[in-house]
Amino acid sequence: MNVDKAGLIKMKGKTERTGISSQTKASITGLLMVIPSFALLVFTVIIPISLAVKESFLDTDRAFSLKNYTYLFTDKAMQSNLMFTLNLTLISTALTLLIGYLLAIYLRFNEGRITDWIRKLYYIPMFVPGVIATYGIINMYGNHGWLMRIGNALGFESFPRFIYDYNGLLLANLWFNIPFTTMLLSSALAGIPNSVIESARDVGAGKISIFAKFIVPMTYKTLLVAATFSFMGMIGAFTAPFLIGPNAPQVLGVAMQQSFSIYHEVGIASAMAVFMFLLCSGMGYFYIRSMIKEEPAAR
Amino acid sequence: MDVKEEEVLLSIRSLQKTYKTGDGVRDINLDIRKGELITLLGPSGCGKTTVLRTIGGFLNPDAGEVKIENQSILHLPPEKRPTAMVFQSYNLWPHMTVYDNLAFGLKLRKTGKQQIREKVEQVLKLVRLPGTEKKYPSQLSGGQQQRVAVARALLLEPKVLLLDEPFSALDAKLRMEMREELREIQAAGNLTMVFVTHDQEEALSISDRIVVMNSGRIEQVASPQDIYDQPSSLFVAQFIGRMNFLNGQASKDGIQVQSLRFGNDKGLAGEVTVAVRPEDMVMQDPSAAGMSGTVRQVMVLGHYAEVSVETPAGMTKVFLPREEARALLTGAEVHLGISRATAYSKTS
Repeated sequence: MNVDKAGLIKMKGKTERTGISSQTKASITGLLMVIPSFALLVFTVIIPISLAVKESFLDTDRAFSLKNYTYLFTDKAMQSNLMFTLNLTLISTALTLLIGYLLAIYLRFNEGRITDWIRKLYYIPMFVPGVIATYGIINMYGNHGWLMRIGNALGFESFPRFIYDYNGLLLANLWFNIPFTTMLLSSALAGIPNSVIESARDVGAGKISIFAKFIVPMTYKTLLVAATFSFMGMIGAFTAPFLIGPNAPQVLGVAMQQSFSIYHEVGIASAMAVFMFLLCSGMGYFYIRSMIKEEPAAR
Repeated sequence: MDVKEEEVLLSIRSLQKTYKTGDGVRDINLDIRKGELITLLGPSGCGKTTVLRTIGGFLNPDAGEVKIENQSILHLPPEKRPTAMVFQSYNLWPHMTVYDNLAFGLKLRKTGKQQIREKVEQVLKLVRLPGTEKKYPSQLSGGQQQRVAVARALLLEPKVLLLDEPFSALDAKLRMEMREELREIQAAGNLTMVFVTHDQEEALSISDRIVVMNSGRIEQVASPQDIYDQPSSLFVAQFIGRMNFLNGQASKDGIQVQSLRFGNDKGLAGEVTVAVRPEDMVMQDPSAAGMSGTVRQVMVLGHYAEVSVETPAGMTKVFLPREEARALLTGAEVHLGISRATAYSKTS
């Protein structure tokens, strides 16, 4: 304490001589340290977004108009693209959460060799690059893929369509998102002490009421986080839909790429991007609000 | 101490539970009377919690029987057993208020709302926390949380209340208060409790009887007084209280420690270990029979002093009233006698 004071006094003397107070010095250092990351944010996020927003309100003559948005929401093909994307994203998110939650609960409350194997293997998909995984899906589920060849050999004539179809995209979404979701939920479930579950059983709670009254309330925040991440990842998905998605309707990401690169309709592509951004920020707002709303029971 | 059959509330017969690691318990036989507070005491890993969790239904034994009022409870899951458990920590459900924590079990039993409210109020008064209904567990101190946990268990009106080191996470002073309160509640309601602890002081202070356990077996079951005065094995002698261990020689005539001699009740022979409590060591006149020794250290510990004396039989601790110890200086020659001792064969 004494040493600190002495140091402080010394510093004061020094700064008085140079004419800048130590406080100003500290604020300048702080600013200097913030500038790089702020600049990065400005040039890679804020400016591109502002440009895209501006672009989306310009027509082909560079005049302000709502034409792009009208087209986005009234054109038949665009409408079906939007519906297709939303449908796929919502169904995928729901299934991802359901399967991830079940898997995480299974892993939390079971022991044994099978459980150990699942625990070791389930996050492997996270380490497989998207393109490679997508080609894996083609090889497995494609028209001449492994499943069909094995099925044929066993005498099955027809086979459900996966590649270039909704099913394939659903499958890809699940493959990419279940591991991370399970990991998040597993850690949330690991945070529930055994004695909480045991004391609940002790006072007479059965399996269903333990799940509904203890496990869900103690993990719903993580469930929300997982839902947000899955939703955002899926709505902007590109690799898998580009490689194995149907030609029509298309996922927004692919439709955007086509408007931009093939039809050179920058305005429409921008409008799509803005719409997607709004969807994600809605989700983000929802997420942040529920995180900030701190419960008194928070551990 | 045998328990008459008609008084027995909880009976454990030849209980065995072995874990994959090889640890576990075996040959556990125990009868617990109604209204009795029994403590399972032992070092960590001795199996005391295993026994408790088996009674509570959280573990399935490999063999043996557990009966409450002569009915086997082993086939029942914890939620159906007439037992309630207080855990070491994280007892309360963090997302529920104190009221909801307490009312949850009653709601499951379809108790009326008004009745629940009355019962919760009553039990909170009993554990000296009235008016905390709306608080969340995180707003309570550790001691308060454990009180609510005890209250929650009491609300279920269990036939046997099981407590798994409930106060071990609390500081010493609070632990002492909680002990007293628990003992009061237990006596007032004539409740039957099984209390697990590794703290021998805690066990000695609250129990009707203590079950001393060591590596999966029961070493001794007796009242605190008997456990302290007549430890039945060398382990119990080492585990409970402070003890001096002196080398002695047993023969038909008695047990010889240096120039001191005691009766040989157990009929031991050969080399023996003689256990003497520090308070049973006495300072004597040089003329009397005894052991001579040199004072090595005098520590004043409140109302008494602990004196370390080096004797030919080994380093010996002696508890003396503070006034007596004042005259002793390090290096002084003293003469020690023994007022009470227990001997154990070295081979067992």
